[in-house]
Amino acid sequence: MAEKRPPRTLGPGHDQFWEWCGKGELRLQKCKACGGINWPVRQSCEFCGTAEFVWEAMSGRGKVVSWCSFHQDYYGGAMLRPYDCILVELDEGVLFLSNPHGFAIEEITLGMEVAVQFIACEDDGGAFRLPVFGRV
Amino acid sequence: MAEYSPLVMPPALRELSRKASIVGVGETDYQADYRAQRKPPEGYEPPSTEGLATLAFERALADSGLARGDIDGLTGSFTYGGPPTAELAALLGVKPRWNIANGNIMAGPLPVVCAAIAEGKADCVAMVYAVNSRSSGRVFGGATHPAGSDTESTGYGTPPSYYYYHPWGWSSQAAHWAMTFAHYSMKYGVREEDLGAVAQQVRLHASRNPGAVMQTPFTIEEYMASRYIVRPLHLLDICLVNDGAVCLIVRRADMARDMAKVPVDVAGWGEAKIRHSKLDQMVRQQLRPQLEEAGGQAFAMAGLSQADVGHFEGYDAGSIHLINQIEGYGFVGQGEGVAFCQAGEMDLTGRLPSNTEGGNMSASYMHGWSQVAETVRQLRHEAGARQVAGLQFAMTSLAQTDQAHPILYARGEK
Repeated sequence: MAEKRPPRTLGPGHDQFWEWCGKGELRLQKCKACGGINWPVRQSCEFCGTAEFVWEAMSGRGKVVSWCSFHQDYYGGAMLRPYDCILVELDEGVLFLSNPHGFAIEEITLGMEVAVQFIACEDDGGAFRLPVFGRV
Repeated sequence: MAEYSPLVMPPALRELSRKASIVGVGETDYQADYRAQRKPPEGYEPPSTEGLATLAFERALADSGLARGDIDGLTGSFTYGGPPTAELAALLGVKPRWNIANGNIMAGPLPVVCAAIAEGKADCVAMVYAVNSRSSGRVFGGATHPAGSDTESTGYGTPPSYYYYHPWGWSSQAAHWAMTFAHYSMKYGVREEDLGAVAQQVRLHASRNPGAVMQTPFTIEEYMASRYIVRPLHLLDICLVNDGAVCLIVRRADMARDMAKVPVDVAGWGEAKIRHSKLDQMVRQQLRPQLEEAGGQAFAMAGLSQADVGHFEGYDAGSIHLINQIEGYGFVGQGEGVAFCQAGEMDLTGRLPSNTEGGNMSASYMHGWSQVAETVRQLRHEAGARQVAGLQFAMTSLAQTDQAHPILYARGEK
């Protein structure tokens, strides 16, 4: 059953990101001009301002940079607490905020290797697949 | 919400150093207002922004010993809305020749006023700040910044990390500091119970300040037993939400010499913002790039160094953030700040007494303005039970998840 989640940011560019996730692929915007990888999704490159991107496939592998665990309810009870977030440095150098999947924060060490997985979720915009990270 | 006025920070130039002095300071009754709102007496009406602003102004004016007619400049800084400039002047009964909306948080307003005085726009400016964060029911997280908030087109406002990661359950300023400390903890081997010393020290300071919202000291055991907000940070690591106002009266330095109180000269300032990845600079680099850059500007402008600074007022939105600042400005080495605090070096007799009024965590959350008020009292040597002995130079710092604004001050000559 799909997990209910707080809302995604949707619209031009954002929708394409989630479509790729729906196919089980983690793809981010790579600037056609300078090659910089943009995340979160942007309308123009944060490094050079160019508005043309290709959707570059990421390796899906990365290392844990940090973590935190939410005890405070910020979503009116929509998330079962406590729940965890991690910050992952993808092989491509991008920092990607996500959730750990199948491991506890107590297991985390700096630089621990993780890989992307996709879990079935839904929000007010419908069903989607959310990229999360499990231990390698 | 008030229109955000994009400030143009004046450059950190030597020729602008010590051209203006703070000659009056006024604050509202933070503790009384907080208590009344937590447990409202019958018929209680929460204070209005206008009422808070007026009280702080009257207190600052009385403190300065100046007459109302001496005020020829006025600025209003209201984080969550307040009266327009002309209305504010009428409310306070002043007739300023220079009257502007001056941003809101202490990220620019004071340098803007000092530069205006140096340029001759006014000789004596009342800077009024007021906020009703608590009585307006302001919350910090979740739907505060809804999905789809757009900042790319405006260049300022809501950073993506406040709204973009909702599907992963990520929200709130507290979460930013939690992730900053979790990284710091793994990198430097600093434990939760070590970090507790920071909130504990700030609370100890607050216990010497009769106006502080929270004044009861606590043990590390009590700290560890306090609930998590966003682990690894506890309730006691996170700032207050309260209402209040601060007024600073700033006068041309050469006119500030025969006044009721010792003038406090504004000696230097700096500014730096995060350019690209906020999570990288905040978490992985512990805000060091912008703290170093802005601090370097302020020290050069003031002609001072870290060793000259005898008192520091940092922006303790979260405990780890205060440590990031003393490290980033170069008072201690990277990864050494928590041990520095544990050794008592941030207490009154330590090497860098910090947040001596109780900061954002225990005294009051006035977006960096109450830190300036405390600095004035310390440099005048009128801080009573919490006075830093023989103080000559001090530093305040507004530093948020994406920007740093340090200011340096010198005790002037009466």
